[in-house]
Amino acid sequence: MSNLSTVTNNTSDAGLHKESKAAVLFKKYGMLIILIALIALMTALEPNFINSNNIINIVRQMAVIGIVAIGVTFVIITSGIDLSSGSVIALTSVIVATFAQEGTYPLIVAVLAAVAVGAATGVFNGFLIAKGNIAPFIVTLGMMTAARGLALLFSGGRPIGGLSDSFQFLGQGMILGIPVPIIIFAIIGIVSYVLLNKTKFGKYVYAIGGNEQAAMIAGVNVTKVKILVYSYAGLLSGLAGMILTARIASGQPTAGTMYELDAIAAAVIGGTSLTGGIGTIGGTVIGALIIGVMNNGLDLMNVSSYWQQILKGVIITVAVYIDARKHKKK
Amino acid sequence: MKKKVLGFMVMMLVLTSALAGCGDGGSADGEEKLKIGVALPDFDDKWLSYLQDGMTTYEEEAGNIEGIYVDAMNDAAKQMSQVETFISQGVDAIAIVPVDTESVGTIVDMANGADIPIVVVNRVYEGIEDATAYVGGNSIDSGIIQMEEVAKLLGGKGNIAIMNGTPGHEAEIKRTEGNKQVIEENPDMQVVLEKNADFDRAKGMTLMENWLQSGDQIDAVVANNDEMAIGAIMALEAAGKLDGVVVAGIDGTPDALEYVESGKLQVSVFQDAAGQGSKGLEVAAKAAQGEEVEKMNFIDFELITPDNVQTYVEKWQ
Repeated sequence: MSNLSTVTNNTSDAGLHKESKAAVLFKKYGMLIILIALIALMTALEPNFINSNNIINIVRQMAVIGIVAIGVTFVIITSGIDLSSGSVIALTSVIVATFAQEGTYPLIVAVLAAVAVGAATGVFNGFLIAKGNIAPFIVTLGMMTAARGLALLFSGGRPIGGLSDSFQFLGQGMILGIPVPIIIFAIIGIVSYVLLNKTKFGKYVYAIGGNEQAAMIAGVNVTKVKILVYSYAGLLSGLAGMILTARIASGQPTAGTMYELDAIAAAVIGGTSLTGGIGTIGGTVIGALIIGVMNNGLDLMNVSSYWQQILKGVIITVAVYIDARKHKKK
Repeated sequence: MKKKVLGFMVMMLVLTSALAGCGDGGSADGEEKLKIGVALPDFDDKWLSYLQDGMTTYEEEAGNIEGIYVDAMNDAAKQMSQVETFISQGVDAIAIVPVDTESVGTIVDMANGADIPIVVVNRVYEGIEDATAYVGGNSIDSGIIQMEEVAKLLGGKGNIAIMNGTPGHEAEIKRTEGNKQVIEENPDMQVVLEKNADFDRAKGMTLMENWLQSGDQIDAVVANNDEMAIGAIMALEAAGKLDGVVVAGIDGTPDALEYVESGKLQVSVFQDAAGQGSKGLEVAAKAAQGEEVEKMNFIDFELITPDNVQTYVEKWQ
């Protein structure tokens, strides 16, 4: 065990040594600078952009993707991938909607159902990846297809309405003027930050992504950590599905289509490296906000959806390019 | 450890075979049934699931039909190979809801070449006369009916925001085209905002929230389907701005009818999914038996407003 801290410390020290101060600064705050620049640009083009209502609006809209992206960040740091998030959202959506019917179960049952469904899919993913030694891409691709199918089977392909007010509060309500989805998003962000930066578990996650063999030799239970990582990602997809369902007041088997890609994009834009070992929660949140700001700003300016997609593609590619350059410098 | 993996594998196998078992209903009675291959574009689509229900209901009533339902998952190439399979299976007739209106021409030619009657349901395409028959509406009409009612409610003037479905979708193109035809006839009406929200409630809601922040005056939100319209209503309601905005959808889904009943959704257009499905299968069955069939079988669109919504609520029961 004690070997491990030297392993991780060495890798991060080696990275910092040769870089200039400016480069370090940009590496740390680059995407934050880009986010602020983007906000300034949007404000200049469309003055309505920068009112408090709209800012709250953007964060609330990005809460669902942001929560998924945080889970995906853990996965990508271990140099894995999770393609199943969007479908897990749909599966959670229809199951939660059944437990959230007006006048049936108390609210906590629906919340626990969301956590259970999400985590169960994650355990399944993690088990097959870590113990079955199957590539994450394949396992989660399978889950992506199967979970969507299960969602359709469970709901008969139809939306499920009639959700209780207390449940809808989770997506539509406010506490002290702050929308509930934002509060949940913030709590998850903080918990995840602590998990990744202040615990042994977090250290192991980075260690596995940096060098799986070395981590294993240093005594990390790689199998266990991987299963936990995918379970956590699944759990967060479940919570995201719950919020989405509460927000649109309907359990939908087609919900969350392509969300997995938006979540991966948010993580990547936020500086998470697909080769593993690198990534932060703060970066991912900023990545999600960049996507949110862009979508919102282009909606306000009535720029066509076609352009919106093109721009998003360009931003993702540029972010990965910057990331690749950073590693070359090392 | 190996045992656990094995256990999982076995569980998966049991699960898949159990699920597969749900598929075939088992038609063990001795008499020959008419085999009709039904090629649908997307089992995930809610509206199409009502159309499929119409087909299965007709199948049960008729008793002499065995429908084989396949899902192309919105992939035109996949649909083509599914029809090829139907042909090699030697089905008596094919009913198809085309994935897209371009590739369906080739598919119809394939069926014609094999001398198997083919009935195109729900979506019209250029060259429809080559098919044995068409059953469905004319998408552009739904857009016209929808916008005419909106124009009436607004007194022929106002700012319109149009929410489009998934880009390139036949329903997206034609419904919006119908909308715009009516707007052109009313010089005091103009499209101030137009954007895609992919027929999705959550996306419609997000788009409406953003539009509301733009500060533009919006008198009506006209959506390509009900789900996006409901999303817009929820955003407008949350912002306390639903009063004074006309919201219009298309499809008349059960969810949407509730919104029409409460007066929040003022316009929807009923496209009789079950009616198109049952009529489609009926025409295919007739053609399979060599009977003469009508070439164009139009199932009319109907306007839904708070005044007549009860009729449609009863239809779903």
